[in-house]
Amino acid sequence: MQCMWSRRKFLRLAGGAAGMLAGGGAGIRIFGSEVPEAEAAIAARVNVAVASGASPSENARKAVAALGGIKAFIGRGDVVVLKPNIGWDRTPEQAANTNPEVVVALAEMCLSAGAKQVRVFDRTCNEARRCYVNSGIQSAVEAFGKKRGASDILRVYHVEDRKFRRTTIPGAFALKEWDLYQDALEADKIVNVPIAKHHGLATATLGLKNMMGVMGGNRGQIHYNLSDCLADLHRRLPTSLTVIDATRVLLRNGPSGGNLADVQAQGKIFASADVVAADVVAAERVFQWKVKDVAHIQKALEAKIGVTSPAQIRVVEA
Amino acid sequence: MSVRTLRRISQWAIFLVFVFLFLNTEYKDNDVLPYAVNIFLRLDPLVAGAAAVTGRALISLVWPALIVVGLTALLGRFFCGWACPMGAILDAVDATVFAGLRRRGVVPGTWRRWKYLILVFLAGSALFTLQWVFFFDPISILIRTFAVSVFPAMNRIVHDAFGLLYQAHPGAAARVSEPVYDFLKAHFLAFEQPVFRTAAPVGILFLAILAAEYFQKRFWCRNLCPLGALLGLLSRFGLFRRRVMEDGCTRCDLCEKSCRMGAIHDDIETLHGECVGCMDCQVICPEEVIRFSGKEGRQEAAVDLTRRGILTSAALGAFTVPFFRVEARRKAPDPGLIRPPGALPEDGFLARCTRCGECMRVCIANGLQPTWFEAGPEGMWSPILVPRIGYCEFNCTLCGQVCPTGAIRRLPLADKKKVKIGLAEVDRSRCLPWRGQSDCIVCEEHCPTASKAIILKKEMGMTIAGEPRVFKRPYIDEGLCIGCGICETKCPLTDRGAVYVTSRGESRAVSGGPLGS
Repeated sequence: MQCMWSRRKFLRLAGGAAGMLAGGGAGIRIFGSEVPEAEAAIAARVNVAVASGASPSENARKAVAALGGIKAFIGRGDVVVLKPNIGWDRTPEQAANTNPEVVVALAEMCLSAGAKQVRVFDRTCNEARRCYVNSGIQSAVEAFGKKRGASDILRVYHVEDRKFRRTTIPGAFALKEWDLYQDALEADKIVNVPIAKHHGLATATLGLKNMMGVMGGNRGQIHYNLSDCLADLHRRLPTSLTVIDATRVLLRNGPSGGNLADVQAQGKIFASADVVAADVVAAERVFQWKVKDVAHIQKALEAKIGVTSPAQIRVVEA
Repeated sequence: MSVRTLRRISQWAIFLVFVFLFLNTEYKDNDVLPYAVNIFLRLDPLVAGAAAVTGRALISLVWPALIVVGLTALLGRFFCGWACPMGAILDAVDATVFAGLRRRGVVPGTWRRWKYLILVFLAGSALFTLQWVFFFDPISILIRTFAVSVFPAMNRIVHDAFGLLYQAHPGAAARVSEPVYDFLKAHFLAFEQPVFRTAAPVGILFLAILAAEYFQKRFWCRNLCPLGALLGLLSRFGLFRRRVMEDGCTRCDLCEKSCRMGAIHDDIETLHGECVGCMDCQVICPEEVIRFSGKEGRQEAAVDLTRRGILTSAALGAFTVPFFRVEARRKAPDPGLIRPPGALPEDGFLARCTRCGECMRVCIANGLQPTWFEAGPEGMWSPILVPRIGYCEFNCTLCGQVCPTGAIRRLPLADKKKVKIGLAEVDRSRCLPWRGQSDCIVCEEHCPTASKAIILKKEMGMTIAGEPRVFKRPYIDEGLCIGCGICETKCPLTDRGAVYVTSRGESRAVSGGPLGS
């Protein structure tokens, strides 16, 4: 836990808001620095749940439960796109792709909420089949689907060129239009399941960056103006739930990694309805990076696609 | 069941095995291919002999060819009649496209000597280390044609046809055509549409071989195929030959007219080196006086091969070698000559490479492409990596697994990752962060080496508008770079990569000295 306030401020707040802070067994903290009294008095608006201490799937369940349970996000009959990071030809231990157990846990939750379809895919960076196989995600999801007899509801599949649709993005800063994947455009709900990693350009790749997996065309070009383009992408494709896998974290040489020495076991899961909030908390907790260190998170706050200030975030320890 | 039916079953079965192996020359969720997909090439005595002679090595991969040699010595040119997939295709074309065509002896029978002369030419050049078997070997031709031309084209047609249906009637299509498309995609179609240089010329050459059937049945096999010539020579002492009971023969000419190889003279005599044992004559003979057996009765006719012809071909084969060897490429290798990881040094590589196309077919990112003249005319259609099209996938070893002659050695993954096939370079005049245009570093993002070979340095630069700003700029660490090319493939510049790979610094280079290349 990071304490970001001066002792003086803390004492003032502790005195004035003792009642508020005392409640909640697991501890609820206001997130952010330089929180003026008046703002602190307004109840924090967006929850980010942090779970640790159990298996990756159990942590995922705890984190979602702390936000009100999966039914707060997925409705019966929803067509859900579950978007993990399957971008790299790497094994789970190399922490370049989302942990398969976390993906399965979320798939299970979506099924239990009565989703009509749960669609798992990603547009990969390395060769697609190798990524799907070596990440362990394809076999984990297929095995789970088979076990549940839900293979017609829960599907993991490769993207196809012909299903990218030229989409305009109203109100865009930079990304006026782009080819976006049809299944993501048509989904009722998108569940964004990134893995937390270092990234050469973006500093960190978390929830905001993960949604690049639904972009077609020459998507490397958005690197020219990553912060603005990511904000625009989320403007067009808002996600219902973001679950950041920080079970194993790639601290260096991301996003492709490959060297086990760069991987640190942290055993955490972060979850939030608000992708910007999730990224703010995860960047801080996983890498000790402030918002100002990660340009695209800073931009996302300014773009008003989610929370607009870290002060609006309430961290819930699950 | 007549012997003719047996033979057809044999041809079909072996052709289906051939197609099966071709379709499985692809990554199917397994790092190691489960089938010996290159077995046809390894069984091919012409390929085996040429690679071994030119490469001056006993190549263990190609010992299966000895099986075919042995069987040919016993049974004659059965391979051509019962097994060869090229022969099967030609027979199928005859039976369908050119069915009922009355060919009127347009092609002189003397042309059959050319396949022997070609064989001698190839032997002569192989002896002097030039290997051009690929251009004439039927198995190599077939696999290469399928790999770079026919299969990609068929894939395109099917994909586009189903795509049209999908766009035009999405609702109805989803119910009817999409399941069919999914099935085809899962078992027959390529995962991603492959593209290849030389696709059109290679395809046209193959069509020419098929079109030649118009003029004469089995035109290729009779007149051009050096593998057939080799097998014909090897079958000189075969036990299993066509024999006619002369007394019963009425000289009706039915056998002679139906012989697909034109191997029958005056109904009684047989050119044993031409006969492929299809046994149509035995089936068709109304007097049933034709047998295939090892019993006595030579009744042999001879192919008109003059000593002069043989000597000329051999000499020609030998004397073309120096002309290939004074090509400029010998002194100034093309920077684009990026060979697959595990490739032998260039001379040994070209000696063994049969341009069969297996490595190009299996290359998972479609990066291996046929050369035109990057390796000189001698090296035409051998594989090079073209990173703008596809890169060398870091954890993949498929090309070394499929090479039938060991021109690309099969390396364990750990060794393959250490092989440098070239080095990347950043063209600072084009790279966006280098010229102050914008951020990028997609190259560094994709660099697969455990410690990335592309280093980012934060440096002060000037934007186009003249404002100072920090840019993250890519630098290549040549000690770490293996030349896989993913940086060049992924560079977002659409014309040429601002980072690109050349063959400089490859592990195979003998010269270069301790200070590098």
